[in-house]
Amino acid sequence: MTRKTRSATAVAIGLGITLAVSGCAGGSGGGSDSSGGKVTVTFWENATNGPDGLNYFKSAAKQFEALHPNVTIQYQTIQNEDLDGKVQTALNANSAPDIFLQRGGGKMQAEVDAGQLQALNLTATDKTNVGASALSSETIDNQVYALPFDTQPEGIYYSKTLFQQAGITATPTTMDELEADVAKLKAIHVAPIAVGAKDAWPAAHWYYNFALRECSQSAMTSTATSLKFTDPCWTKAGDDLSSFLKVSPFQNGFLTTAAQQGAGSSAGMLANHKAAMELMGSWDPGVISSLTPDQKPLPDLGWFPFPAVAGGQGDPSAIMGGSDAYSLTKNAPKEALEFLEFLVTKDQQEAYAKAFQSIPVNQAAQSIITEPYNVSALQAANKAAYSMQYLDTQLGQNVGNAMNTAVVNMMAGKGGAADIVSASNAAAAKG
Amino acid sequence: MSATTANRWPSNRRDRRDAPQKWGNPFTYFIALLFIAVCIAPVLYIVLGGFRTNSQITTSPAGLPHPWVISNYSGILTSVTFWGEFANSAVVGLASTIGIVVLGVMVSFVLARYDFKLKGAMYSLFAAGLMFPLVIAITPLYIVIKDLGLIDNLAGVIIPQIAFGLPTTVIILVPFLRAIPKEIEEAAAIDGTSRLGFFFRMVIPLSLPGVVTVGILAFIGSWNNYVLPLYVLNSQANFTLPLGVQAFSSQYSTDTAKVLAFTSLAMMPALVFFSIFQKRIVGGLTGAVKG
Amino acid sequence: MSETLGTDTAAGRQSQGTARVGGAGGSAATSPASPRAAARRRGRARMRLEIAVLSGPAIIMFLAFVIFPVAVAAYYGFYRWHGYGAATDWVGLNNYKLIFTDPAFQQVLWHNLLIVVLSLLVQGPFAIVLALLLNQKIRGRSIIRVLIFVPYVISEVIVGTGWSLMLQANGAFNDLLGHLGLGFLQADWLADPKLAIWTLIAIISWKYIGFAVILMLAGLQSIPDELFEAAAIDGASYWQIQRRITLPLLGPTIRIWGFLSIIGSLQLFDLVYIIWGQYISGTAGTSTMAIYMVAQGRDAGNYGYGSAVAVVMFLISLIVALIYQRFVLRRDLRGAVTEGAI
Repeated sequence: MTRKTRSATAVAIGLGITLAVSGCAGGSGGGSDSSGGKVTVTFWENATNGPDGLNYFKSAAKQFEALHPNVTIQYQTIQNEDLDGKVQTALNANSAPDIFLQRGGGKMQAEVDAGQLQALNLTATDKTNVGASALSSETIDNQVYALPFDTQPEGIYYSKTLFQQAGITATPTTMDELEADVAKLKAIHVAPIAVGAKDAWPAAHWYYNFALRECSQSAMTSTATSLKFTDPCWTKAGDDLSSFLKVSPFQNGFLTTAAQQGAGSSAGMLANHKAAMELMGSWDPGVISSLTPDQKPLPDLGWFPFPAVAGGQGDPSAIMGGSDAYSLTKNAPKEALEFLEFLVTKDQQEAYAKAFQSIPVNQAAQSIITEPYNVSALQAANKAAYSMQYLDTQLGQNVGNAMNTAVVNMMAGKGGAADIVSASNAAAAKG
Repeated sequence: MSATTANRWPSNRRDRRDAPQKWGNPFTYFIALLFIAVCIAPVLYIVLGGFRTNSQITTSPAGLPHPWVISNYSGILTSVTFWGEFANSAVVGLASTIGIVVLGVMVSFVLARYDFKLKGAMYSLFAAGLMFPLVIAITPLYIVIKDLGLIDNLAGVIIPQIAFGLPTTVIILVPFLRAIPKEIEEAAAIDGTSRLGFFFRMVIPLSLPGVVTVGILAFIGSWNNYVLPLYVLNSQANFTLPLGVQAFSSQYSTDTAKVLAFTSLAMMPALVFFSIFQKRIVGGLTGAVKG
Repeated sequence: MSETLGTDTAAGRQSQGTARVGGAGGSAATSPASPRAAARRRGRARMRLEIAVLSGPAIIMFLAFVIFPVAVAAYYGFYRWHGYGAATDWVGLNNYKLIFTDPAFQQVLWHNLLIVVLSLLVQGPFAIVLALLLNQKIRGRSIIRVLIFVPYVISEVIVGTGWSLMLQANGAFNDLLGHLGLGFLQADWLADPKLAIWTLIAIISWKYIGFAVILMLAGLQSIPDELFEAAAIDGASYWQIQRRITLPLLGPTIRIWGFLSIIGSLQLFDLVYIIWGQYISGTAGTSTMAIYMVAQGRDAGNYGYGSAVAVVMFLISLIVALIYQRFVLRRDLRGAVTEGAI
């Protein structure tokens, strides 16, 4: 290329980039059209077809449209893993949907910083419907940016039948009891605990819960803001995990088992009685029921909270959890907010609970729950001194991802408690 | 190359292909069968997996379907969504292939038979397209497509795919087009044909095997493309087959058996397309390597 | 008037050494007299028009949909950007500094190198031997070719899903070994660092060997039968013929295949991501630069960093391509990267 051509090309590229960057920044709103009269609200979520998915939303939409004849709700289902990428691209290109599934935590912070989300103007009714504590995890600088639909307390799901067979009479309340149960289950040749370490986060949840027990609430919340893991409780949590690993509680080949991706997953093991326990959030029963031989809910499924750890500074009743929440993009019409408000009313929440087999956030609707595991989980959640969001959400993707990776490395025998802390600190520096 | 060679050039190959076929020695077949077994076994696993339930796959990973579950396959074959996606994939695949082939042949012809200052740069431009991981460029690409108003439109998938398919096409076709002997071109010039005439009347027929090769690779690439349609297409009605897999995965789980059944059915057209045209591929690549 | 169009005239049917590509400047030798010059100028203008018309559409599309997005994406490499809104946090070359000082990146560089070398060493000989065996004009040749090419036709996503299910510790392969009484051979094919890289090479070879075989077969087609016949008459054995005649003449093909294999190995992503995932691939020793790019970039919300890694990958591929062209392809394929001469 001659010099002239080269510089011409450079100028062209430079111009192009300026155009693109400015295009990314400003721009008119995407989404829907609300010029007096007919309004279309676009809605992106990750529930697929079936009663436990799209159909729930479709019928909810129909009911809403009956009440508001000028509104049409337009759905789109996107596979879970791809949803974030698609939303991010659409947000940056100003062609985002009005309502979309929000992951919360660092992602939400980034979206708020970029001015892409609408602060929700909630009425008193809304706040009663959802409850203050659920709202607090979706709040940044006193503004609420997403409306949660359910609450997902985390605990250990177990098979009552297998426990009986192993001679375990009561669910463990301390780590020592848990380790004893692990030994009993090994004696009957069942994998004591299933974990889908391939996806990292299921393995990391063990670390999160150890941290929850070892760290005081203030230590956790202050680390979440500072992203500096200086409190010794973080290392202690890693040591706890290390010593727990010494009793080999997990199934064979846990490093290459996915958590929920169908047949070969840890949920699948639980569903077919090949493993006795799994630490998971409250969506697990739904997943398990799709993997059982008859594709119905597992009849002997039970739940108990994460055991207490001796000498920890965290409250033993504290619980880790998350929720599915939905955000509005900056220029979404008011009908979009109305639809969300509609979805958290008691009747809708009861239908939601039935469809997804999960715990609705609306406390008035929670009475509809009958499954024993959900009842136990709900009781524990209501009794909890405080709850924390899953750490990878809380700490943001960057640090969360690094922490998850470090935990997996430890489980693969390639690192220790100190490495988890140093990896998290290093990632904080990168992002 | 002598004139006689030039005359014989296409027909020489045809003679060799039609030579009488005899049975080879058993050792050769044994090796080939071993190889085929290794190649096909995983594919069979996928196809048979579609006849099982998730529970079967978990409890008996290496077993045969027991009982045979037809509902996965039949459910897909009778679903309107599947055939809609099939049609979309077919449209996108054929349009992309035609676009890639036409534009690719034109550019390769220029690179192969013209001589100009920027030729090296032009070739490097296309070759460089192979070296950058395109998944990183999805956001800016999305903005370009959106600014053209092609979001949620099959054209928004077809046109970028044509652009993506050009590097490989150019790399394969340029040597092939260069291999057309100069004598033919000179003879055409003597006869008074312009260069463009030469292009249309002689180059295209002579390079048909190369063109077919590139067309097959383009079609297979388009048929299997997941990322671009994922970002560009929004409404279910416009989905292509790879996106159809999403219907079997919820936020927390995947219906593995159905996914296996779906992907087995989805790969069929690409296989059929390939086996129809495979004879021509060998002829095509022959030109590329022989120079 | 026979204006040269810069095509090479391959002496004989082999392409070694005689590929003379008209580079900048063409191969016209003499400077003509004036009326000739005028005709040439007209011809040249016409030529430029033809070039523009023929290559215009492709170039425009390529610039708009490939070069431009790639340039913009590469530009983000100078920023710290979380993916939403405009990129505002300029960090210059800091991302690049972090990349080259990150032990994880050095690790993936090493893995990529292993994959490049092992792919060549494993696939090459297999493909050549298979091609030699299948070059004989035997019945069923067509079917065999089709069946061997099947793995290449299937999308990487399906391949990844299927192999993942088969090679999990509690997956089909171990199960089968158990049923066959070979239980002692069961292993953690994916997570064991000693085995994982070989598993990866096996899967890659499975997927791409068909392509290599077809390429070699095509190369074999171009060797004239007369050479084999002459050698046979002279009393050479089958393997002597292969060693002395076939392999050297297959040289150019092998070298082109090597080039494609190397570039493909450097960009390897889909198979590893689906089968191992971004976390386990690190401990198992199979992570690649592209995995690192996605794990540290998109999945960690550090899009600027990810872009920088992409640029690094591009530069590494380019350097390797240029070195390969200079030292390996030079003999018979001058300018393969810059001029496509083969």
